[in-house]
Amino acid sequence: MHAIALNHYLIVAALLFATGFAGVLVRRNLIIVLMCLELMLNAANIALVAFARFNATPEHPLMDGNAFVFFVITVAAAEVAVGLAIVVALYRRRSTVMTDDLTALKK
Amino acid sequence: MLTQAAETFRSLAPNGVDWSSIAPEIALGVWALYVLLREAFRKPGSRGAATFTTIFLLLFSLLCVRNAFAIPAGASASFFGGMIEQSRTTELLRAFFLFSGFLTTLLGGTLLKKQGVPQAEFDVLILLATAGLMLLAQVRDFILLFVALETMSISMYVLVAYIRHSASSLEAGIKYLTQSGLSSALLLAGIALLFGAAGNTALPGACADPFSFRELRVFIFLNQGNAFVLGGAALVLCGLFFKIAAVPFQIWVGDVYQGAPTPVTAYLGVASKAAGFVLLVNVVTGPLLPLRGVLLPLLSAVAILTILFGNLAALGQQNVKRLMGLSGIAHAGYLLMGVCAAMALNVDWPIVAVYFYLFTYLLASYAIFGVMSVLSGEDDSAQTLNDYAGLMKRDSFLGGILAVSLGSLAGIPPMAGFVAKLFLFIAAFTAHLYWLAAVGLFGVVVSIYYYFNWMRVAVFVPCKTEDEVEAGTLKAAPIASGFWLRTVLTTLALITVCLGFWQGFLAL
Amino acid sequence: MDTSCTCPFTHVGSAVLFASVAVPLICAALLYLGSVPKMVAKVMAAIGFTVPLVLALYLCTQFADAVKISGYAFYSDASLGLPAAGISLKLGLNGIALPLFAMAAIVSFAAGIYAIAGNQDRQQLYLALLLTMAGGVLGLFASIDIFFFYFFHELALIPTFIMIGIWGGTARRVAAIEMTIYLTLGAMLVLAGLVALYVGSGIATFDFITLRDYLAANPLSLVTQKWVYGLLLIGFGVLVSLFPFHTWAPRGYANAPASAAMLHAGVLKKFGLYGLIQIAAPLLPDGVGQWTNLLVVLALGNILVIGFITMAQKDLRYMLGYSSVMHMGYAFLGIATMGVLGLSGAVIMMFAHGLTIAALFLMADCVEKRAGTTEMASFGGMAHETPVLAALFSAAIFASVGLPGFANFWGELSIFTAVFNMNHLVGALAVLGIIISAIYGLRASAALFFGSRSAAYEKRIAANGKPADLTFAEKLPILVLLGALMFVGFWPRSISDSINAEMSAKYPAAPVQQVVPSAAASLSQDGDVALSGERKF
Repeated sequence: MHAIALNHYLIVAALLFATGFAGVLVRRNLIIVLMCLELMLNAANIALVAFARFNATPEHPLMDGNAFVFFVITVAAAEVAVGLAIVVALYRRRSTVMTDDLTALKK
Repeated sequence: MLTQAAETFRSLAPNGVDWSSIAPEIALGVWALYVLLREAFRKPGSRGAATFTTIFLLLFSLLCVRNAFAIPAGASASFFGGMIEQSRTTELLRAFFLFSGFLTTLLGGTLLKKQGVPQAEFDVLILLATAGLMLLAQVRDFILLFVALETMSISMYVLVAYIRHSASSLEAGIKYLTQSGLSSALLLAGIALLFGAAGNTALPGACADPFSFRELRVFIFLNQGNAFVLGGAALVLCGLFFKIAAVPFQIWVGDVYQGAPTPVTAYLGVASKAAGFVLLVNVVTGPLLPLRGVLLPLLSAVAILTILFGNLAALGQQNVKRLMGLSGIAHAGYLLMGVCAAMALNVDWPIVAVYFYLFTYLLASYAIFGVMSVLSGEDDSAQTLNDYAGLMKRDSFLGGILAVSLGSLAGIPPMAGFVAKLFLFIAAFTAHLYWLAAVGLFGVVVSIYYYFNWMRVAVFVPCKTEDEVEAGTLKAAPIASGFWLRTVLTTLALITVCLGFWQGFLAL
Repeated sequence: MDTSCTCPFTHVGSAVLFASVAVPLICAALLYLGSVPKMVAKVMAAIGFTVPLVLALYLCTQFADAVKISGYAFYSDASLGLPAAGISLKLGLNGIALPLFAMAAIVSFAAGIYAIAGNQDRQQLYLALLLTMAGGVLGLFASIDIFFFYFFHELALIPTFIMIGIWGGTARRVAAIEMTIYLTLGAMLVLAGLVALYVGSGIATFDFITLRDYLAANPLSLVTQKWVYGLLLIGFGVLVSLFPFHTWAPRGYANAPASAAMLHAGVLKKFGLYGLIQIAAPLLPDGVGQWTNLLVVLALGNILVIGFITMAQKDLRYMLGYSSVMHMGYAFLGIATMGVLGLSGAVIMMFAHGLTIAALFLMADCVEKRAGTTEMASFGGMAHETPVLAALFSAAIFASVGLPGFANFWGELSIFTAVFNMNHLVGALAVLGIIISAIYGLRASAALFFGSRSAAYEKRIAANGKPADLTFAEKLPILVLLGALMFVGFWPRSISDSINAEMSAKYPAAPVQQVVPSAAASLSQDGDVALSGERKF
């Protein structure tokens, strides 16, 4: 039995980040794209918290990392709120949430 | 009154925190709340606060310029435990962002009326975005960098999608949001990696505060080969490349510039890009400077690709907003040349050259976008070169403004753009970046073609006849613009010409 | 600027020089500002074109006795811009700049008078642009600071594009765009070269005097000199239509309005040659030799290849456009010799060619005004109707061929002598150019004015009546141009002395020159070519 170490957290974070990254690039549904964006931010959050926890020593408590995560959560919430609002407005006009149908802007 | 408020703030502050140092940003936030409240309780038919907001931004900008010259050159002060550093340069950058906010609200007044959308929320968002940008000019810490950047970005998402009855504006908004969100996530991941590496007490020079630029620089100097450091630096740069629209993070530019309301396009093209450059300069000459050996070839390659892509993509472009966006990519490439030189030489004057270029770019771009907002019809995303046919004859004032500004963008003496480009090329030569300079010169020649082509249409192509106007082929025939807009456009053009002759205030 | 607290003018001459550059620009600025009655615009333009001519002639008389500061008479230094970056508006004339400055003033005057008398639509804008060009070309020859040297060139170049685009001939769109791209490319290469000089010198200044003195003591490395000079040679070469970078010139000139063609082909194009002689070669003496062979080949290309193409032209304007490209070959050959004789010859050639080609473009426009075409096959025997035009045109053709009595003769003779001394074969090939230009020049003259009438010409006379001879407003500029040519043709020392003195100072590496008086000077004394003792390269 091994204790859960920093590397395990980082691997989870990396997997989540990669999933999110691939999702943003590949998926065509805007809602899912927004979810993937959240996934990436949260992957970074996991990494930040893990680093803050495992790098902390009595002399260097490294609370900054934990504090930063709260800012990121706030930012992510704002971002997804704006994103969903735009998606809803777009759906009212175009009746679609698929990126392939967004063709009003052409060369 | 103001001093009293400042005193109150000071008494609230814990050690080393001086709220008065960010009083302008706080004032912008307070004013934004006031505008929102006033709008909520406004009787229908009464005047909003739009005019005051515009004047407020202009006065603040002038105040910052005055403050800047009250600070002795070379002096700097840190606040909030080193999160913020203020000097004459940052004060001038604050003025820069306030000035572009002022111009954006002014153009907004012209355009939003035509589109039939309210202005109060627009002004609020501009105020908040400007506050974010002003903080970005002073940050020396990655937490504040991320928060200020997102304050600006989230305001921008809404602004790009502001015309909510227009499909193209909404489309541009969602495209900007997804791609900007992606770049923010990359930036955040990069910050996390740097944080993880720099906080590791097993490594030499581990930091007590791994987000601080100053501490990171020492750490990175001691751990140049560390994989986390290199990966983190690369991801941070990716996030910043998106903001300045450097290749390969330029895909969003065409659609977003075209779909956004014209004043927002201007804001995006000037203020947001300038903020990206300020951050890039502060990062690559700050914490990442020890990685110069790796980053210089990388940045040079990016600059070359950016110049080539921007100019070649703009060549056949008919839509003027796309043209401005794509040629803006090329300008980012020239600016990157200055950043490379600053990094290679590790001196300050190429940075001054970069900021001067940004200022001339602001003058010329806002003048052109001002002409665009005047000319635009109901759908301002569909402006093409044809709409400029015979502009010189229809309205020689707007034609003249366009000529001066396009000349400045193309780098024709005696306009300021020429001198600004000259400084960047001198910087590149001094840093022995010959290939970069050669590609830059090639880019300038190509850019002359499309800028002059625009002028050619405005001067030589006869304007369409009245019949065609009635048949609906020509959009927005009557050219009406307010006195203040004309005054401001004239001022911008005059400064452009004057700066071409006199740049004595620059500390080169 | 001239009212700043520290007066930049050392004495009257410097104020006069400053004024002669400023007056046309001020007049132009006033004309841009607002619409004025036609008469007022014409009077203002007349002031803007005449004042520099008068002042330039005054400066010519004062030059010999003027106080020279670092070799420049009429020196003034109005610091605006960036003293810290080594840029300031320094004006002054040396022996090379003086004749070219005078030539610029004369051609500006001629082009200006012709434009004032003409009736272009939107004449005010036309005059304002032309005044800008005039101010630009005067400024570029008077600039000591390299930054302003380039600046004034661009200032004059932009109006050229605009004038071709608005008032040009049938192919004006293509011509304007092609010329813009080509010349911008050339200007950018030049800019790159100048910036390389600025940076490479290590002292970060655009001031020519400082650069010259510094680089004389601390020359750049051979490799740097080679590449910077190469950059400048190609860049200037594009601007001067060096073969094979000449394709913009014929179409551009053929479609340019007369006054713009006169000022560009006559004066502005000399920017490149002037830059090579005055700036590039003295600052990069070791770089020059690396490119001599290439330059000689390209210059021969100008003379022979373009010469044959010129002979094949059927349209008078295109023929003049090509001939102006061809004659640049002589000037380049003169530069390639890098001796006092060849370089002085090149400067005299520049002076003479500027006046000649301006007169020819002016007369081509007169011909077109009368006939509506410049197709040479549709003329013949016009000398009966327009004897004065025929006489002046033939005189200008003689000048361009290089007959004695015109300044061109001295320029070509000096160049040929120097080239022959350098390499007999090259000299022989270059002299072929005289025959070529005699053939096409005289053939054009004959086709237009002599022989029997063509059918097309008969038809035109039947439809429109006989063409009238030159009016006074057309005669005056032509006479001024040809008069200046003949003045120098009969008294070459009026300009060659100052040129030779300056060249000897600039290229002191040729001690032989001290012993043997240079040919241009000795020729005027005894009419014989001093072949022996010239420096061999």
